[in-house]
Amino acid sequence: MKNRIITFILGAAVVGASAFAQSSQLPAPPPIEKELAARASNVTEVTLGKNMLGFASKVMNNKDKDETATKHLIEGLDGIYVRDYEFDKEGQFTADEVDQLRKYFETSEWSPMVHERDRKNNESTDVMVKLVNGESHGMFILDAEPKELTIVLILGPIRMDELGELNGVAGLGALGSIGGVQHSPHGKGEEKEKAKTMEKDKTGGNQ
Amino acid sequence: MRRLWLIPMVLVALLIPVAVLAGSEEGGFDGVVHSIEGRYHVRATRIPFLGLISLVSTKATHGGVSGLHVAEFDSFTAQVDGDELNRMVEEKLGAGWERIIRETKREGNEQTLIFIYPEGDRMGLFVVDLDGHEMDVVQVSVDPNHLKEKIGSLNHHHHEDDAAEGDSD
Repeated sequence: MKNRIITFILGAAVVGASAFAQSSQLPAPPPIEKELAARASNVTEVTLGKNMLGFASKVMNNKDKDETATKHLIEGLDGIYVRDYEFDKEGQFTADEVDQLRKYFETSEWSPMVHERDRKNNESTDVMVKLVNGESHGMFILDAEPKELTIVLILGPIRMDELGELNGVAGLGALGSIGGVQHSPHGKGEEKEKAKTMEKDKTGGNQ
Repeated sequence: MRRLWLIPMVLVALLIPVAVLAGSEEGGFDGVVHSIEGRYHVRATRIPFLGLISLVSTKATHGGVSGLHVAEFDSFTAQVDGDELNRMVEEKLGAGWERIIRETKREGNEQTLIFIYPEGDRMGLFVVDLDGHEMDVVQVSVDPNHLKEKIGSLNHHHHEDDAAEGDSD
């Protein structure tokens, strides 16, 4: 009997601890981020955890069409994290460091969706999606420019066509263009190419 | 007479919480302000009648804004390590406060930290902003729905005024 009680208490503690860990904490940042932050002249971090998104969705107005759509999108999310590093001059981070950041997320769960390189201007964009049973449950965006590096991580179920709604959320306006790729029938060739990749990965990328 | 032993017991029971409270570290707004004062050897300028101002703002906004606390540090010349400041503020604010924005600009000694504390339908907002030689620490409790309605009505009036001006032209 005593053993059963001890087992029960231990079990409850484990369940409680894992629930706490899931609900409150952000994913650990890649170690390279600290080095980049130390070198950058301007660093901006936006962190919206599940609690905060839940609160934001609670105070959004159901009567307003735009707010209802944003509310619908964010209430299921686990977190939105944005990191932006601005550097004084070019060459303060290397392609190898950008690779390290990408590889940190390039696990079996994450599928590359957009992979764009502009060698002439030394720019690159990567978009990866976390697929769970064919549904996207996370998005990672890594945008590198000669003097700026931006990381966006969205965790939780995401509908690509709703991403544009995040336009209204401070600092996340750029996400609208990703969501908008699928909406723009007359978009640029580059956007069409991205859309093709997105569609391809969405339909065939179940891992 | 038999119950005289109760006296020292009661005294001990009363003294323990007093000793614990005296020994415990101060947290919240005052804790953050005192930590900054101690760490960077600066003195906060307290705004006179802030309690009254807070009361008036609560009345004026029909409860939209309350619990206003402001501390201002002028002549802030110390170089600030952003990580250290962030850790210090997080530690003093305690559990429940979530940092949503952190901005660091090396040039010009600029640091901004914004924390939020959801409290039912309201939210606590805590801002630490260092800009050059001035640092401001602000804590306020706001009702987001109430403020949104207020801002919406102000925008509405603003658009009406614009339209009226357009018509008169």
